[in-house]
Amino acid sequence: MPGLKAATIAKKVVEPDVKTLERMLYYLKLTREAEQLLERVLYRQGKIVGGVYVGRGQEAIAVGSAIQLVEGDVVFPSHRDFAAWIIRGFTLRDVFLNWLGRAHGPTRGRENTNHFGDVRRGLIPVISPLGDTCPLACGTALVQKQRARGNVTLVHFGEGTTSRGDVHEAMNLAAVWTLPVIFICNNNAYAYSTPTRQQYAVKDLSARAPAYGMPGMTIDGNDVLKVYDAARQAIKRARAGKGPSFIECKTFRMTGHSAHDAAQYVPKELFEMAAKDDPLARFEKELVAMKIVDSKRLGQLEQQIAKEIDEAVAFAESSSLPEGADAVKGVYCEAGCVWQATGV
Amino acid sequence: MRASFRQLETRRAGLPDKAVKLTRDQYHDLYYYLRLNRRVDEQLTSLYRQGKVVGGVYSSLGQEGISVGTAYALGPDDVVGIMIRNAGAMLVRGFRPRDLFMQYMARRDGPTGGRDANTHFGDLKRGVIAPISMLGELVPLLAGVALAARIRRQQRVALTYVGDGSTSTTPFHEGLNLAAVLKLPLILIAENNGWAYSTPIEKQTANTHLVDRAQAYGIAGAAIDGNNVVEVYEATSEAAERARKGGGPTLIEARTMRMKGHAEHDDARYVPKELIEKWRKRDPIVAYEKLLTKERLLTAEEKAEVEGRVEKVIREDLEFAEASPFPAPETETQPVWA
Repeated sequence: MPGLKAATIAKKVVEPDVKTLERMLYYLKLTREAEQLLERVLYRQGKIVGGVYVGRGQEAIAVGSAIQLVEGDVVFPSHRDFAAWIIRGFTLRDVFLNWLGRAHGPTRGRENTNHFGDVRRGLIPVISPLGDTCPLACGTALVQKQRARGNVTLVHFGEGTTSRGDVHEAMNLAAVWTLPVIFICNNNAYAYSTPTRQQYAVKDLSARAPAYGMPGMTIDGNDVLKVYDAARQAIKRARAGKGPSFIECKTFRMTGHSAHDAAQYVPKELFEMAAKDDPLARFEKELVAMKIVDSKRLGQLEQQIAKEIDEAVAFAESSSLPEGADAVKGVYCEAGCVWQATGV
Repeated sequence: MRASFRQLETRRAGLPDKAVKLTRDQYHDLYYYLRLNRRVDEQLTSLYRQGKVVGGVYSSLGQEGISVGTAYALGPDDVVGIMIRNAGAMLVRGFRPRDLFMQYMARRDGPTGGRDANTHFGDLKRGVIAPISMLGELVPLLAGVALAARIRRQQRVALTYVGDGSTSTTPFHEGLNLAAVLKLPLILIAENNGWAYSTPIEKQTANTHLVDRAQAYGIAGAAIDGNNVVEVYEATSEAAERARKGGGPTLIEARTMRMKGHAEHDDARYVPKELIEKWRKRDPIVAYEKLLTKERLLTAEEKAEVEGRVEKVIREDLEFAEASPFPAPETETQPVWA
């Protein structure tokens, strides 16, 4: 896979504790299963209105980074960072209700992908024009800096997004203002159909970081432990008031841009190579080798996850669609809406 | 070994120690344009103070070496996109001082016929693209010129300028990245004059070595003394040669100092006096005169001859410009559309 084995890939990392390792495995497997259902079952059954964007093959990035956040931290996930929502406290019911456009979903059926968030949970919704979240992340990080409670902001974007001015302006601003923000580039090799060689002329995007005066790192984004370690270093730095960092996670989009895209423009060999480098399979193998889990435990976990997903989907499917008369509601901030309640 | 964060590896691309291939006449040319640029600047300030200029006057005082040295290194078929402090480049490309005088005084015979009272004019025949006020916008535009040249299989090089402030803008980034990916024959001169209006470079970016941006895009970079016109000429020539050979864009950071306010109306009280004093000792024209004298490239007679030519054209052009009328009101709507 082009550039996947970057020179800066680490051999050894600071291990998270066993409990964290198990949680990471849970989130990885949960993401894979839930997205499998969204992209390849519910979408094909015509139950989802609109496109389905998943992070197949790149699940480790959101898991390894968001899992380290604490109260008061903020994450701006990209549309391929499913686990970020769950880690920040959204339920599977919320997710399926939203995708299925139900009345009791987070957007009450107004939006049918993952453009939802909650400031109280420190998760800001995806903004479709890519890159726009980066200057916004500088904004939340500036607030965090002013409040001086050691909180940080994570912002995810793809390698295609790095060509946008928003990212440039935000990275420059974050560095000059020493903001506690961690820029995480999910470099999945394709921006829709554009391969990286048509996107930028550097080997590693982390070469951008020193230009702004911030540290940068390129890592194997399919290794959840390396993601964890890189994010840990960057978060520690940010909490200590030392400013932003840039992490390029090299990975591969193991599907089309969205469920409607067959991705015929991607050479088959790349998909085959990516399959051998699957972040979930790699982590499972590693945990088995470390004797943290065995096949029995894996089986139990799969059953548990299947049960949780089944329950959430059944709940969502039995939930009602929004009433026509409610279409005008929720457009503007109403009494009790979170944005008003938190004074954001 | 744990992966570590990439630390700054500065690449200050120095210039090779090669002899500058300039003839005696070319050395004199450079001197002529430097002086002409300075004198045009002084005259514009004077006209401004006489109330004859409509709008602001943006001085290139102290930065003449960059405009003159870069433009002089280009060939006749090359294209340059100028900014407000690049009057020197306009003069090298064949504009006369009268064009600038009439333009600033909004006269009928000026390049825009009195419509714009600033340096927003160019001439495709002279290979000059007019400035765009929104800083940085010329970067993608000149990348377009370079792309067109490639498609037409022309050996054309495109050059444009940004200030230190402009490097924080979107078009700087998008334009330079595109030029890098397409390996376009583009030369980008970052005139690091320390100030973006009142913003010092330390508040503009955390890494004040703008040349380090070159690595971010995978292109060649050089940091040079912008007050040394020969160094500017040499770096630009090298970049142009690289571009013509298909080696892609180059970012040249030319370090200099804005010796006046952002414009004539700005007294720049926010700039420490010591800084101005320090840079005054490094005036590009004085430095060049010293070099020429030391290398015996300019005799007292030759110096007087060049200065005489400069004064003559300034005098003639001032007279011409002041004699030009204002545009007739009834023509106002005419050249709005192409």
